[in-house]
Amino acid sequence: MTNLAAAACRRAPIFLVAAFALLPLAEPAQAQKSGGSITVGQELDIPGFDPLKVGVYDTSTFTAAAAIFDTLVTLDDKGEAAPKLAESWTHSDDYKTWTFKLRKGVTFHDGTPFNAQAFKENFDRQKDPANKCRCAFYITNVKEVLAPDEYTVVYNLTDPSVNLPATITIQSQNNVVHSPTAWKTKGDDYNRNPVGTGPYILKSWTAGDRMVLEKNPNYWDKGRPYLDRIVLKPLPDAQSRFASLQSGEVDIIWDDENDADNIMKAQKDPKLTVHTYKGSGAQVYAFNTKVAPFDDVRVRQALVMAIDRPKMSQAISNGLSRPASNPYGDGSWVKCKDDGALPYDVEKAKALLKDYGKPVEFKMLVTATPRGRMIGQVLQQFWKRAGAAMEIDQVDQATIPSRAFSRQFQLTPWRIVDLADPDPQMYANFRTGSPLALAGFSDPELDRLLDHARVTADVGQRTEDYCAISRLINKEAIWFWTFQNTYYALSSAKLKGFPKIYNSVIDVSNTWLE
Amino acid sequence: MLNFIVRRLLAILPVLLAVSLLTFLIASLLPGDLAMVILGDQATPENVAALRHDMGLDQPLWWRYLSWLGHVLQGDLGRSFRTGQTVLQAVSERIPVSLELMLMAEFVGLLIGVPIAIACAARAGGAFDRFMTGSAFAMLSMPSFLVAILLIYLFAVELHWLPATGYVPFTEEPLANLRFFVLPALTLALAEWPGIMRVLRSDMIATLQEDYIALAKAKGLKPSRILFVHALKPSSLTLVTVTGINIGRLLGGTLIVESIFALPGIGRLLVGAIYTRDLVILQGVVLLVACGFVIVNFIVDMLYAVLDPRIRHGHA
Amino acid sequence: MATLELSMQDEVAAEPLRRKRKLGLLFWIASVWLVIILALAILAPVLPLQNPVDMDMLERRAAFSSEHWLGTDGLGRDELARLIFGARVSLTVGLIAPMIGLGIGGALGLLAGYFRGRFETLVVGSMDVLLAFPPLIFALAVTAYLGQSIPNLTIILGVLGIPAFMRVARAATLTLARREFVIAAEALGASHARILLRELLPNVILPLLAFFLLGVAVTIVVEGALSFLGLGVPPPTASWGSMIGEGRDSLDVAPRLAFLPAAGLFLTVLAFNLVGDTMRALTDPRQGAL
Repeated sequence: MTNLAAAACRRAPIFLVAAFALLPLAEPAQAQKSGGSITVGQELDIPGFDPLKVGVYDTSTFTAAAAIFDTLVTLDDKGEAAPKLAESWTHSDDYKTWTFKLRKGVTFHDGTPFNAQAFKENFDRQKDPANKCRCAFYITNVKEVLAPDEYTVVYNLTDPSVNLPATITIQSQNNVVHSPTAWKTKGDDYNRNPVGTGPYILKSWTAGDRMVLEKNPNYWDKGRPYLDRIVLKPLPDAQSRFASLQSGEVDIIWDDENDADNIMKAQKDPKLTVHTYKGSGAQVYAFNTKVAPFDDVRVRQALVMAIDRPKMSQAISNGLSRPASNPYGDGSWVKCKDDGALPYDVEKAKALLKDYGKPVEFKMLVTATPRGRMIGQVLQQFWKRAGAAMEIDQVDQATIPSRAFSRQFQLTPWRIVDLADPDPQMYANFRTGSPLALAGFSDPELDRLLDHARVTADVGQRTEDYCAISRLINKEAIWFWTFQNTYYALSSAKLKGFPKIYNSVIDVSNTWLE
Repeated sequence: MLNFIVRRLLAILPVLLAVSLLTFLIASLLPGDLAMVILGDQATPENVAALRHDMGLDQPLWWRYLSWLGHVLQGDLGRSFRTGQTVLQAVSERIPVSLELMLMAEFVGLLIGVPIAIACAARAGGAFDRFMTGSAFAMLSMPSFLVAILLIYLFAVELHWLPATGYVPFTEEPLANLRFFVLPALTLALAEWPGIMRVLRSDMIATLQEDYIALAKAKGLKPSRILFVHALKPSSLTLVTVTGINIGRLLGGTLIVESIFALPGIGRLLVGAIYTRDLVILQGVVLLVACGFVIVNFIVDMLYAVLDPRIRHGHA
Repeated sequence: MATLELSMQDEVAAEPLRRKRKLGLLFWIASVWLVIILALAILAPVLPLQNPVDMDMLERRAAFSSEHWLGTDGLGRDELARLIFGARVSLTVGLIAPMIGLGIGGALGLLAGYFRGRFETLVVGSMDVLLAFPPLIFALAVTAYLGQSIPNLTIILGVLGIPAFMRVARAATLTLARREFVIAAEALGASHARILLRELLPNVILPLLAFFLLGVAVTIVVEGALSFLGLGVPPPTASWGSMIGEGRDSLDVAPRLAFLPAAGLFLTVLAFNLVGDTMRALTDPRQGAL
């Protein structure tokens, strides 16, 4: 956690949601000020909030969801699960049943009381096969949610999960709690008129333009939130987004490391603050091992060995990108002495391709964005040097998942996002038979390790499993990782109280203006 | 006159029908199975088949077209599967932005183009005229995505005169609204004025050679009076056409300018619909935009006919 | 060109009676510029240039040097080589796409203007359909369907130019068809084909060619806009437009990356325009016709 700690030191103290987690010891003189309003510059238009309609939330939606809704559990500044709508929780010995005690006296913005029944209805609505919710995929491990009394919620899982509370902290389509009354009465219109229990209430929303959130005067956590108003605005163009921050139209913007010039400019600007968070996970790529030339391990290994990550980092982000050698990253609790990463070795790569004998030509899916094109061209260059010809296949972002799920690709980009536990993503991405096992690679040892890691409670043992998994994947080179996840937000220096960008969520719901 | 209007109206019906067919075909032929896109990671073959059936995607293409057209004729353009908004809601939110941007761009374009055109026509063949006609179209070669960011750096980041991005409705804060539109309108106008200038200039030079101008000159009228009163008015006919065409063109949205200045216009709506395969929105909005274009052209034709009676009888 | 539309208005419809004048110095400067650019573009593969796609990732945005005369771009590629190879792409697309418009649109306009009647209504109507359809959506959809390549891009831009060429050809034909020499040929019993090819075409082709040069300019710019949106030439191939788009990301670190191709584009468009204007002034068929 050294990186995390270092990142945390540079930031203002973080105020936690749960009252008892507010440790007075970490509080310097800096006091939160109430009032004022901020504008957030986002990358994308928000399509809506109804999980049945939008399926999954994107990064822009997360920010709004974090303000309008609450989750049962949140993460404290050490990255550990802390109470929010749930006040406490216990688990069964086999980790297959988790019981949450809910906070009392919480109401939704429309006056509907928040209780176990409301939570269960949220869950059942997503799980109901008749609703065909895309969101259901992410709760396949939950058999059912029960509401034995008004303030108790029980999760019954299909497989043990030792880290469940931390994994349900992300303000995603599955975890935020909607008002059942609202979706029932509003029908199709609910998607754009969300009702939660969160610190902010949706006041107005013009598609493609502004979403105005007003302070919830009856928020259960007294004294919060601080700002009177939050305005969310999509600013799709990275250059004009940054210019808007410089000229003061917006107070905080989402950013990523490929916008390195602007990040570095912001670091030098005393009027701006750069917030970074080194999350777990990585930017990853999956080979389709069912089709030539990637059905041959030599080709896959050669391509991975041809990538010079430090150089690539220079090329795409002035060196800000942190090379990755495994899917977990420095931000994860999984620390491996040996993750089995293949070394950078062009000569070896050439030799492997020569050994393969046939010319290696293939297409790689790339998003049709400046970022996608840049990364695509750099990889293309590395592989050309090793003797393989890659053709860039530019597709829009929405096409990539459907091409990936239908296995219409040779090589596709993917992402392992920052989650508190590696299990959900590793199991989905590599277990034989999972729709997300994009490589189409099946190995009994890999399956055994994945199964074992998910039902084991001991952290040391799980770490060993995950390191063995990393070694196996790196050796077979069915996926490869280029860079670890680093999340960025740039803000005006006056904005205080911005928390770590856990789960890649820009959460401004507890910030204030100095 | 009435006869003329009816004839023209009848002529645009098949055009609209063809537009609707083209719209539907293009939307349907987009790669990426809609059901697959909606289902995403849940796209098992059974789910896909079921959803395709629910959405009527398993019907033949012609049948889907006819049933869509049937709904459209009843005024039902449909609802986005993604946001739950109806096409009319989506368009009515966006159209004021696109309309205002278009009108302001046209206004600024005329503001730049007309004086230059008059100055050029007044001394046709002179140094100023040759320089302007030569360079006007080269101005077009400055891509708007570059011009826009340069204007932002200059007027918003350096000088702090104008906001970099954003929008508020005119009804809420009229002044702020206009300030937001200055830079995007200017970006567009920089690409519009050369066309306006060239057309008006040519027209005025032709008008200035008419006999009645020579007569006016002979009568000793002031040159400025001749230019502005006697020559500008008859020459502005073509200006109506050009402005009409530009307005029709800009109706379809100006994606690049809208994206850079974060204006919630039609262009971003349409491209967003393509990227997310939101076919209902795509088909509906394209159809409405195309109708708008056809209607604007129709109005221009009418204006023309009113201004110049020969057209009603001759060939359009 | 803020948007992706080809705004080639009926320029030809109202060109003045211009006195014949000598070609002038500007015309020659413009022609020489065009010849140089064309020669560089055609000869690019045999010129002693560096490979335009080879990257030196540690030498990004390098300044001018004897190794890289115009420095390197954002990924460490030789800027000069990319400019010249970019000219090759921009000019290929910029010349061939208007040829499609010229060929198809010109022929349709000629036939429509000569035969009139139902055929004319059909042609004009279908062009209206094409005009009414938002061009960017057309480009996006066709690219998504056919895939991204230089030929596909050229076809898209060519098709989008057809209505404008049709209008020019039809307008010219309409006026010419009532002129004495056509009526005389008809009276002498000449066949339609003969009148179209021998009498009308040589006269209609002149304004079309002048218009073609404007089309070249507009197409090169529109290709740039499409590249900016990821619909232009597929990377790593350079075009001037895609170079401006990439250079725009480092405007304050290395403004030349955007401004060098922009200057190339500006001068070339200006040159095409000057040459086109001069040619039109020399060849306007309706001098004295109004």
